[in-house]
Amino acid sequence: MLKIDGVSAKYGKYLSIKDINIDVVEGEIVVLLGANGAGKSTTFKTISGLLKATSGKILFNDVPIHQTAPEKIVQMGIVQCAEDRKLFPYMNVEQNLMMGGYIHRKRKAQLKQSLNDVFELFPILYEKRNEAAGLLSGGQQQMLAIGRAYMAKPKLMLLDEPSIGLAPLIVEQMFESIKNINQEGTTILLAEQNAFAALSIAKKGYVFENGQIALQGTADELLSNQEVRKAYIGA
Amino acid sequence: MELLMQQLFNGLTIGSVYALVALGLTLVYGILHIPNFAHGALYMVGGYITLIMMTEAGLHYILAMVVSICVVGLLSVLMERLVFYPLRHSPPIQDKVAAIGILLFLEALAQFIWGADYRQMSTPFGQVVEVFGLTLTLQRILIVFAAIAVMILLYWFLKKTFTGRTIIAMAQNREGAQLVGINTHKVAILTFFIAGALAAIGASLTSPINLVFPGMGHLVILKAFVIIIIGGMGSIPGAILGGYILGFTESLGATYLSADYKDIIAFVLLILILSIKPQGIFSKGGV
Ligand SMILES: Nc1ncnc2c1ncn2[C@@H]1O[C@H](COP(=O)(O)OP(=O)(O)O)[C@@H](O)[C@H]1O
Ligand SMILES: [Mg+2]
Repeated sequence: MLKIDGVSAKYGKYLSIKDINIDVVEGEIVVLLGANGAGKSTTFKTISGLLKATSGKILFNDVPIHQTAPEKIVQMGIVQCAEDRKLFPYMNVEQNLMMGGYIHRKRKAQLKQSLNDVFELFPILYEKRNEAAGLLSGGQQQMLAIGRAYMAKPKLMLLDEPSIGLAPLIVEQMFESIKNINQEGTTILLAEQNAFAALSIAKKGYVFENGQIALQGTADELLSNQEVRKAYIGA
Repeated sequence: MELLMQQLFNGLTIGSVYALVALGLTLVYGILHIPNFAHGALYMVGGYITLIMMTEAGLHYILAMVVSICVVGLLSVLMERLVFYPLRHSPPIQDKVAAIGILLFLEALAQFIWGADYRQMSTPFGQVVEVFGLTLTLQRILIVFAAIAVMILLYWFLKKTFTGRTIIAMAQNREGAQLVGINTHKVAILTFFIAGALAAIGASLTSPINLVFPGMGHLVILKAFVIIIIGGMGSIPGAILGGYILGFTESLGATYLSADYKDIIAFVLLILILSIKPQGIFSKGGV
């Protein structure tokens, strides 16, 4: 479904990711692991078109997208829920969600249905539907960001560290919700530092180090890998 | 009492025009994050186009205004495409310098084409009417009602339509807007068109009670800046409220203090409000 083929990208002169190769098959959850600054978010930005690849190719269902504008990529079905959430802070929860469905704006009935789905997935968002996004707690903002991405009905959802800064109980719920979204048919590419939780719902994973992929394998392989255990699971 | 009422109505009139101009400025600020000094030139061109359409093409005042709205809206879009868009990756100081450059260029151009004279604009709404014991010209009543109608329409558009909300979304989080599939270039074009249209409406409404000349945008744009700083940069309610606060303060100040100091009032108000609320009345982005 998504094929990243030898992609490099830079911020200014600084090469942030080098020669990245990733393969995502439809229906899977694939996880990108790696410490802070390893290059996961840069990879996501490049997929979404916010940052242009300086070399290599990105194919989505065999269509090259590495030269495509961000909004076109969203229309094609790749939607990102960014690390810093990028919500509209002065809009309320419901307005944020509706903006998430912007590409389906002509399909009013579908939007209403999706809105209900999100409220079902995250009941707290229904309670807070009239509150400004900027006033929500970190966990609620994260749910809103995922909900907003969900409203676009993506084929592939990119989730950048959804568990960052959340209390352990909420992290568990978050991964449960991600699993649900996947089971409804959305393919998921997930960047995480919480390796154990991420690998337990994922099919396979890639480990980033200094902007390169250091290791890859199935979730089980990575979970039993000594280096991974030492670096990311603390066992 | 009657003098007070008369002055309050005057305040409402100028406040309405200030609010329209400040709204355009604040919308553009919201998406571009630079103060568009050239907005004053759009206002000036708006006055001239309406005037010329009436005197040269013989159009009715309202029709001339419609032409002016379209022309200035397109001029504003052209400005975005030819100047601000190519500069989008440059440091903000370059946008500011470019904006001042456009202002000077358009003013010189207006003077070249239409001359430096102060010109009067006629209006079909020159009649004097009595309302609640106040003697008002129909034109002033038109200014207030038209401006309020435009503001309500704009508010509805920004709040209730998907297209309008893209402007708000982009102002609140540009990358967030891209990530929900909004084409930010199109939003920029739309925003500049609206800003130009608002400037043209403001200028066309007020020209019959003021004068049309190449420098007519100076004071207005300075005051519009004061207004959006007072109201909170990028804030829409702030621009409206700020416009009326300035309008009322000016017209009351001109009567009860001194008409000579009328134009200084804006800046005194700026210092006063910012010393109490440094962020402006509303913070950025609120709608
Ligand atoms: N906006 C930016 N400008 C310059 N360098 C950046 C920017 N964002 C990230 N980087 C650099 O790129 C590298 C990869 O960062 P990132 O992709 O954010 O890593 P991760 O998401 O894995 O924590 C880091 O060295 C980081 O400092
Ligand atoms: Mg990151």
